[in-house]
Parts: sequence; C-alpha cells; structure tokens
Amino acid sequence: MFDTLTPAEIEALRLSLKVAAVSVLASLPLGFGLAWLLARFDFPGKALLDAFIHLPLVLPPVVIGYFLLVLFGRRGPIGAWLEHAFGLVFAFRWTGAALACALMGLPLMVRAIRQSLEAIDRRLESAAATLGAGRWAVLASITIPLSLPGILTGMLLSFARSLGEFGATITFVSNIPGETQTLPLAIYSFTQVPGGDAQAMRLCLLSVILSLAALVLSEVLVRRANRRIVGDAH
Amino acid sequence: MRIEIGLEKKLGAFTLKAAFSGEAAITALFGRSGCGKSSILNLVAGLLRPERGRIAIGDRVLFDSASGIDVPAEKRRIGYVFQDGLLLPHLSVRQNLLYGRFFTQPAERWADVGRIVALLDLAPLLERRPHRLSGGEKQRVAIGRALLASPRLLLMDEPLASLDASRRGEILFYIERLRDEVGVPILYVSHEIEEVVRLAGHLVLLSDGAVAASGPLHELMSRIELRHLIGRHEGGAVIEAKVLAQDLGNGLARLAFSGGELLVPDVDALIGETLRVRVRARDVSIALSEPRDVSLLNCFRCRIAEIGAEPGASVDVRLDIAGTPLLARITRHSAERLRLAPGKEVWAMVKAVSLDRHSVGYT
Amino acid sequence: MRSALFAFALALFVPCSHAQLVFAAASLKNALDDVAALSPAKPTISYGASSALARQIENGAPAQLFISADLDWMDYLEQRKLLRAGTRRWLLGNKLVLIAPAGSAVKVEIGPGFPLAKLLGDGRLATADPNSVPAGKYTRSALEKFGVWGSVAGRLAPTENVRAALLLVARGEAPLGTVYTTDAAVEPKVRIVAVFPDGSHPAIVYPAALTAAAPASGPAADFFAFLASPAARKVFGKYGFAPLH
Repeated sequence: MFDTLTPAEIEALRLSLKVAAVSVLASLPLGFGLAWLLARFDFPGKALLDAFIHLPLVLPPVVIGYFLLVLFGRRGPIGAWLEHAFGLVFAFRWTGAALACALMGLPLMVRAIRQSLEAIDRRLESAAATLGAGRWAVLASITIPLSLPGILTGMLLSFARSLGEFGATITFVSNIPGETQTLPLAIYSFTQVPGGDAQAMRLCLLSVILSLAALVLSEVLVRRANRRIVGDAH
Repeated sequence: MRIEIGLEKKLGAFTLKAAFSGEAAITALFGRSGCGKSSILNLVAGLLRPERGRIAIGDRVLFDSASGIDVPAEKRRIGYVFQDGLLLPHLSVRQNLLYGRFFTQPAERWADVGRIVALLDLAPLLERRPHRLSGGEKQRVAIGRALLASPRLLLMDEPLASLDASRRGEILFYIERLRDEVGVPILYVSHEIEEVVRLAGHLVLLSDGAVAASGPLHELMSRIELRHLIGRHEGGAVIEAKVLAQDLGNGLARLAFSGGELLVPDVDALIGETLRVRVRARDVSIALSEPRDVSLLNCFRCRIAEIGAEPGASVDVRLDIAGTPLLARITRHSAERLRLAPGKEVWAMVKAVSLDRHSVGYT
Repeated sequence: MRSALFAFALALFVPCSHAQLVFAAASLKNALDDVAALSPAKPTISYGASSALARQIENGAPAQLFISADLDWMDYLEQRKLLRAGTRRWLLGNKLVLIAPAGSAVKVEIGPGFPLAKLLGDGRLATADPNSVPAGKYTRSALEKFGVWGSVAGRLAPTENVRAALLLVARGEAPLGTVYTTDAAVEPKVRIVAVFPDGSHPAIVYPAALTAAAPASGPAADFFAFLASPAARKVFGKYGFAPLH
C-alpha cells in the first residue's frame, strides 16, 4: 500500500495541484473585488449579489456543473465568445476543471476577505490620503497589507475546496485522465472498479496529507501576517 | 501665509457654517465638544466635501463651489495630525515617517528628514513598531510623519487630548518648537484654552457650527462678551511680556509689558525672552486705593474700560493698564458697593502665585 | 407552534420503511418511472450508474431490488452473496448506438476500421466511463472489435453515467457519443447515426434480482413480478427495450 505512486496517480496529483493553484490565483482578483464591493459600498441589489455569490455553497455541485456546461461549454454563450476572442477553451480541459473549482471556492474566498476588509480602520486610509496617497496607492500600501490574513485564509479555503471538488467538475468536463481527472475523480474511479479499493485508499491518504499540509501552511502564514500588522508579543 | 476658509455643510443635527481667515503661525479653532471643530479640519483636508464654500491656502485655491474647484485630498498637500495618531500599524516608525515623503515630488520636498527627526527627538524610535510606542511617542511620530510630507498647511486635531497630563506638557513643548522653527502654518483644534493660549496667534471661537468671533488672540481673550465661549473658569486676558530679570533666590521672574511689570514665580526662561501670561479673570481683584502691607506682588493702576451686563452673582470688568487689557471677575455686590463704573481709576491686583505654569506660554 | 416543531423533529427520527427501495441503472429512468406509475406497489426508485449502485449495495444500502445495466455488476454482488438466491433473471435487452447532436449531418457506417477518429475532428467521444459503467464497457468492446479503440482511447469524454454522456451530445459539446437506443429515444436533441451490431459487444442484458436484504414475498417481490407483466412489457417496448426471458 505504501509503494511509490504509479504514473497515473502522480498524474492525478499533479493535475489536482495545478488545477487548485490556478483556480485560486485566477479567482483572487475577482474574489477581492467582490469582497471590497460588499465591504465598502451600499447599493441597490447588494443583498442579491451577496446571495448569488453564496449559491455554490448551497446548490448541489452537479447543478453548478450543469450551469457551467450551459454557459461555458464550447456551444455556450460565454464559452463560445471566449474561444473566439481569446482562444480560451474550458470544455474537456483542465481549464474547465479550474473554472469549476474557482466557482465552488469563490464564496469561501469572498467571505474571508470581506471580513478582514471590514475590520480595517477606515481612518487609516484617510490618514494615508492626507499624506498624498491616491486610491490605488492606498489599496496597495494599506488595504491589502492589512487584510492579508483574510486574503490568505480565503485563498487557502478555496484551495482546500478545490482539492476536494468533484460534482461540478465531472459534470462539466467529464473524467479524462491526465486532463480533468483530479484526485477526487481518480478516487471515485477506483471505487467504481471491483478491486480498486486499495488504490482508492492510497489516493485518499494522499488527499488527506495534502489538505493537512495546506492547512498547516496557512496557519503559519496567517499568523505571520497578523504579527506584521498588530505586532508581536501579544 | 494667509488661510481663507468659508464652509457650509449639514452635519447630522446641525449645519456647519463657518468663515474665517488669518495669517498667524498657529490659528486655533476653539469651542466645546461637538461644535464642529474637527469637521472643519476634515473639510479643509478634503476628507469631507462642503456643500458650499471656498478654501484657499496662500495663493492656491483648494475648493471653490462657485467655480467647481475641488482638489482631491491626496493632492492638497495638507498635513493632518489626528487625535489618536493613526500610525500605520504594519509599518515601522521609520516607514511611517517616510510614507508621505514617498508621495511628494522631489521639487516640493522642503522638509529635511534629519532636522525633523532631531526636532522631535525621534531617533531612538525609528526601528520600533507603533504598538510599542507610548502615547506621547505616537503623537510625536504622527507630527513628524505629517511634516515629512512637506505640507503647506498642518492640521492638528486635539493632539493632546488622548495624552495624560505629564505627557501633554512634553508634546506642547514640541509643538511650540515646531511653530517657532519650521515655517508651516498650523490650524489647531482644541477645547482646552490653556493650549490655545500658549500656542495660538489667531483665535477662532466656534459655537454650534458657526464662528462666534475671529481675531488675534489677545484681543479676543480680553473681550467680555466672549467669556462665556472661552469658559468662565479659565478665561482671562493674555499679556505678552519680556523677561527682565530672574531672582533665583526667590524663584521669581520680573517680566515687563506695556502696563508695567509682572512678578511671576518659577519661570524657566532666559532674560530677553518673550512670554505669554494668561491672567485668569477670577484671580484679579480690584481696589479703590493702592494696597499697602498686603502679600500681593502685582498691583497696577488702571482704568475701568467696560463692565459686563450679564445677570448673576458675578460680573466681568475689563480694565485698561496703559493700553494692555486685563479682565477681572468680581461679585456684582462688590462692584455696586465700590461704585465701579467705566472711566473710574482703580487698582488691579494679581496674586503672583496664581500665575502658575498653566498660565505661562513660551513664544 | 412549538409542539408542531417537536412533532416534526420526532418524525425525522422515525425510521423510514425502505420496503420498496429499488436501485436501477440510469438508462432505465424514463421507462421504469412509467411502469412504476402503473404498478399497484409504489416503489421508491434510485437511479445511477450500475457500478455506483452495486457499490452502494455492497456497503449496506437498503435496496431490495437491483436492476443492473450489465451482467458484471450483478455477478459482482452475487459473488459477495448479496443477492437473494434464485431470484436473478434477465429482464430486458437494449442496443448500443452512436449518436450526434440533432443538427449534425454526419453519416457513417459502422464496420471494421470505420473513421471514428476523423469524424470526431478536434472534439471528443462522449461515453460512460469505459472502466466501470456498463454502457462504457460495451462501447469499448465494440470499438475494439472494429479495431478503432486505439485511435479514440485518448479522445474520450468519460462521464459518470450514460445519461451524462447523452447530455454532452444533446448540448452539442461532443460531436459524437455512445448511449443506449432507449436513451437516444427520449432525447429530442440527439439523432442516432448508427447502431452497433449485436455481435460487436457482449449482449446488453439488464439482469434484475432481489437483494439479500429483501424478504421473499412482500412489496418488493410484488413489484419485481409486475415488471414481467404484459402491461409493463408494453411500456418497456414503447421505449425501445427488448423483452427477454
């Protein structure tokens, strides 16, 4: 059971890490933007936007997968345009798996970042303005550094969610080894084959180790970021 | 540099409608809590937008509702020292200090880092983080940070309010130094008359969102009808006097002003220095004849210029000592008994002891 | 109000009777729902890939009747003594077809070396997972038989069950797919391009059996019997299933 991983397993692992990493990094600007919008402004429809962002948390993943297929498939309105304008294809590609993960992880990311943004003393941003900092300078030198713990937490939560994402992925981009067969899909595949239990178990263990590593890393990073903001010796 | 300010803005319960101008090194905005003083600073800084008005610093117009000028806060070059410092918690003191400087064009940087750090004794604090600073240290860093952005005007919002008594004197000293050695005009908000008397050249009295009076400090301090705004307890004329001699044996200093000489205990100043002495009205007594064999050291022959008209047990009397005004607060009963009236010649007496360190300011 | 809430909470804890929980292959959905509507017993039917369902039964799912889309998974349960002895029988047959989106004009004859890869272009062949789902396994057999498996093995879009493959073709995301003829019949957005000849893959048989957990007589057995009735056969036949004995 503890032999070295087979090439197929390494492939699934590599793919999972790639998909999770890309989904987190690609969704970060949008996640931060939405969190900032919700934290700083009041506007008609704000509650609706908030609810919409949380849909992936409450809807069955298969439903999300279906919507992705309808919108971002090669025949879907957005998917067709993206392919035409940028050559970006999601259907049956790892990019589609990343999109599914990004969408499923977005509510977690937005929540975490929004909380940390709301905790920032706005007067610090006013003080920075009086010192000559324009909007973007304030964002870069004050808002982001002070909300860093929330940003890191949001990234980690989204990353962990991505590592475990199954329903939306398999519905949207199917189960293609080497392209969309992330760890959860690989584990599922093994469980569906008689005698595949041992392999499934190996991969499960691998998943657990990965998630634990991500959790521990985030704890370390968040603590360090907090120390930078508030100061040590507390 | 001349500051011209006219502002109108609805703030919750009341409307702020203030207009004043001045040219002094420090212009103080004085009034009770809630009268709109801090809001005026926020409007001048560009953190709030007035509904109507005009803000001009020197020859630069920062806001003019009539012509649609509204320079954004980050371009106004106005430094702001907040009541609780507002140091950036994720940066060191050094980084805080240099923060504003980073956004200043090299051509506009008149503030010299070494000089400001020395002026405010910030050298030992440079590598520390804000949460490790005491209240007084935080304020000094806040002042330094605002100065190092090379502002054209410095706003200070009750900078001493969050400090304890011993610290206040220390920071007051630094602000006086700042006023005297760095050329930036300062708009200073406070509700403590002692600070205002020590620092301000021009005083703006605010009441319920409107300017009740605006003018040179001495003049406003000696106007009877403004006493209720300044505070019955602490109000009194401010006299500028020069140190003539120091009697070290007795701990007294002899100060000369246009109306004569003042003897003041425990004055830490050199001969030739000019000081401001606030003589609280409640510490001034009036006699019809020159007092003899009394402990009072400061007696002045003067003329009654005006007697206040408000009802109550006490009454304000404005005296004129050869051109220098002095306010006295005595009982109405005594004023009637002594038959005091404008024009009458009387003697004013001030206990030297009442001129304590809270009364003396260094210019 | 509070008593209503309490009663509700209590009801959640009352054990549900699974007297009539039926597990059936996904491709049976439309037909079996109609049959169930006709039967006196009203069973609860859970559809999915036969592989998934068999695994669930193995892990203790309280199904009483299992209708699989291939023999392998029924054998799997029989080997593990999870079926009620003597109840297993062949229920229905089906055909495997090659489908395309309704608007596609593609034409092909299925024969040795037929140009499947070329027809796919840069798209993928939507099919249920060939490793585990019956429809996928039949597809692999057939394509191997005609010698084209190697050319398309890397060009598949393996789905969780046969209906998901149907969806991909219906949405036009896959230019071609393989499903059962009964699936193609219920989806107007696809058209059948060709039928895989019977000999090219193991016979598509839907075996059915009572599980070991089911009593020999009772609602489950009744429903099982009803499946062989003329009324039920008529419904199955309407959908394209071939009756077997």
